[in-house]
Amino acid sequence: MQTPIKATPWYFTAVTVLVAGCCVAIINFGVRSTFGQFTLPISTEHGWPRETFSLALALQNLLWGIATPMAGALADRYGSARVLMVGAVIYAVGMVGMAFAGSPLMFHLTAGILVGIGIALSSFGIVMAALGRIVPPEKRSWAFGLATASGSLGQFIFSPLTGAMLAAYDWHTVLLILAASSLLIIPFAMPLLVQNSSGSKAAADEADISMGEAIKKAFGHSSYLLLTAGFFVCGFQLAFVTVHLPPYLAEHGISKEFAGLAMGLIGLFNVVGSYTAGILGSRNDKRFPLSAIYLLRAIAIVAFISLPITQTTTLIFTATLGFLWLSTVPFTMQLVIVMFGTRYMATLYGFVFLSHQIGSFLGVWLGGKLYDQFGSYNPVWWMSVGLGVFAFLINLPITEKRAPAFAVV
Amino acid sequence: MHWPAHKFALIFFSSVIVVWLIAMAFIMRQGALTPEATGTMMAVFEPGSAPDKVFASLINAGAKPIRQTSFGFIWVVTSDEPGLAGRLKAQGAIGSYRNLPISPTIAGCFALADAKINEAFATN
Repeated sequence: MQTPIKATPWYFTAVTVLVAGCCVAIINFGVRSTFGQFTLPISTEHGWPRETFSLALALQNLLWGIATPMAGALADRYGSARVLMVGAVIYAVGMVGMAFAGSPLMFHLTAGILVGIGIALSSFGIVMAALGRIVPPEKRSWAFGLATASGSLGQFIFSPLTGAMLAAYDWHTVLLILAASSLLIIPFAMPLLVQNSSGSKAAADEADISMGEAIKKAFGHSSYLLLTAGFFVCGFQLAFVTVHLPPYLAEHGISKEFAGLAMGLIGLFNVVGSYTAGILGSRNDKRFPLSAIYLLRAIAIVAFISLPITQTTTLIFTATLGFLWLSTVPFTMQLVIVMFGTRYMATLYGFVFLSHQIGSFLGVWLGGKLYDQFGSYNPVWWMSVGLGVFAFLINLPITEKRAPAFAVV
Repeated sequence: MHWPAHKFALIFFSSVIVVWLIAMAFIMRQGALTPEATGTMMAVFEPGSAPDKVFASLINAGAKPIRQTSFGFIWVVTSDEPGLAGRLKAQGAIGSYRNLPISPTIAGCFALADAKINEAFATN
């Protein structure tokens, strides 16, 4: 007697899972990108110095980095969907607290710590961990590109939306609307429950080892260390450009308005670049395109700072950099899977991402510190170039095969 | 499972952009100012208006120009006297909006779109 084939429910179909995962990425990244717009209204209303707000955002970024490996470990153990749902609640509670915080301490606890943890638990890295297990290997890189591009699109669309909301409503209301938006991650995470139970089992081509052992073995694997060091450079370059490019442009006579447009171009080209990287990542070699991205960034920076700064060179630079912006992510995630399989991918990618966030912190901090010391951004631009060449070189020797400790003997 | 490809990505991203434009249109309408409003605002004139004429209209309305956007017909202006939005309208502005904390060029695009839609509905 034949067993009747059970049809897949609509909420677990491939299209629903992809749409849901991408919507999570849009909301998580989009909402996060709007916080800078609250600097003035919040600081003005409370009479706080800008430092209070900056410290909260610095804490947020640091917590996002530190909590990512832990969020990854939870996702690997209990499935991504549950972690995303919990993350969405923490994210929303943090933003509600941010709206009503009456003291700097409360503001740091909510906007800094709670929101940082919420972002980590509901980030697109956790979405990609789910997609990595659900999507067949030949489509995996494309799905990573799609999720990364969705995060980029979120940044691009949420920024003007929040700006318009701040013009129409009181900032408290806008924060509450954004908190409610982040709760939408909960229904969007539900289709990812299709991956609910597979996370804690080793796949057929993976050695059956514990998480603790996996982390220890990964840190003993030279290719993983090279990949992690390379991602540090990614964080350094992106954070430096995000924070310090607008004042650099202002110094060279580019209007604030035009600088805003140029920064917007980064977001737009980032969508195209991330998606393209996802397509290219389906091919065998991942380390070569990844290395090339770092080298191209270095070349773009040298060209930009060596030529006279005009509106045209600014647009060419931001479009180029936008194309190369998050395009490192699909390759990096794919390399983690190639080396270690999918079982602990969220945890191991989490550590790579932590290195990215440390790079981000240093990019922002050194950018300001060295500017104060030398009265010019040139030392940090050249540091970015040097780090770009360094990342290009260290990604080349990465071995694109399963790490011995993770392979089935 | 059947896994989609580029066509899916195109449809998905296009759908997100459409939803975003609808949300922006809704919020811009919420941000449109009533004739009594004053303070810092963005004044939108008919596209293609002569810059001199636009500037004269701002002065006649008692507005202090703060900055011109990339579109010569959209200005960020301010005034302490009540009723600036109404006076700007009387001088030919097709809409007035709160000054948005985003690139005035992008803000101007949405403000113009909203002002034109509002104008079309007002005349029909």
